[in-house]
Amino acid sequence: MAVRTKTEIVLDQRFDPRTCRHSLNGQGIVLHCHHYISLYTQLADDCSLLDAKRLLTEVAEDSFSVALASYYENHNVTNIADRFAIATQYYAVCGLGSMKVLCAGPYSGTVELDRSHVDESWIAKWGKREQPVNFITQGFIAGMFAAAMGRPTRSFSVVETQSIVSGAERSVFNVVSN
Amino acid sequence: MAIDRKRIIAALSQVQVNADGFGLIPAFNVFVNQLPCEFWNSFAERLTRQVGPDMLEAAEWLLVDAARTCGYHTGYGIITSEEWKAVVQPMVEKVPEDILHGAFAVFTAWGWAKSEIVELVPAERMVVRAYDYYEADVVTLGHSAKPSAYMITGVCAAFMGLAYGGDYDPTGGAAMRAFDCVQTKGIECGDEYGEFVTTRAAV
Repeated sequence: MAVRTKTEIVLDQRFDPRTCRHSLNGQGIVLHCHHYISLYTQLADDCSLLDAKRLLTEVAEDSFSVALASYYENHNVTNIADRFAIATQYYAVCGLGSMKVLCAGPYSGTVELDRSHVDESWIAKWGKREQPVNFITQGFIAGMFAAAMGRPTRSFSVVETQSIVSGAERSVFNVVSN
Repeated sequence: MAIDRKRIIAALSQVQVNADGFGLIPAFNVFVNQLPCEFWNSFAERLTRQVGPDMLEAAEWLLVDAARTCGYHTGYGIITSEEWKAVVQPMVEKVPEDILHGAFAVFTAWGWAKSEIVELVPAERMVVRAYDYYEADVVTLGHSAKPSAYMITGVCAAFMGLAYGGDYDPTGGAAMRAFDCVQTKGIECGDEYGEFVTTRAAV
């Protein structure tokens, strides 16, 4: 099934002068830079005491699935294709890059990135490397599939099979239902 | 002091960063992202609670260092930006002290922490208080024995490095690490505000 992109995301960005906090569609958000996201990613990658790569992926899945599920509920987005269209726009709004969902179903999917904030940030700081670094997008995609399909988190596993950080033109993620 | 915090916060809190056609946000000489606060909090808190007492200090150092690096480079981007030149620069009389005060007004406007400098000994010591900050959200009931504002801690050290550590060094280096900061109070620990004491780094 080809994914249609007919739905435009609605952005409700606010600043609360009392707390001095920003929110996007009701969820607290904060600006950070490519150094910060790269160093968190490196921390996860280097950590030998626990599986911090998995932790970072799960944290991303949890945070983004909440944001997307809440959006779908508040805006009554029920169509699967519209849900993916909203999710990829939200990914771009976050500054994470340009995402395309090539195919998606209840059991599997394939997602591509033409541009990637995490990969390009890593390359800018430390250069290319063979192993993938985009644990955050892995989590985003798992959360996106869970929210789109109305399933709980940890319902999908995501593996990055091709990476911009390794010199590929685009990153590719394969999704499989658990 | 000529810095009008209220005016800076009112003006710069309205600045919106928008992604380009590639889903990227180039701004202030860096690429920025706008992610849920919950994402950053969840990773930092779960990591520091899972590494064990022997490695806690090392994990915390890495989290603070990420913020120090972010604060140093993005901080420099901010104080050389068009937005800064338009809003804050006309208020700057005493350099670099007014720049530091202005930087914390911007820090507040952008939602990192509702914070201000309450004590400044030029080139030696700075005390910052934060009256509301997202890193305190890791506690919703009761008080934590562990302060959790790694981002504010790192940024305080970075801003002092920018002010008094010498010329900006795009590679980071000694200037970025000229100061260290310690969080001495935290809303997450039951205090009324977070407090951050920055002093010269031990040689």
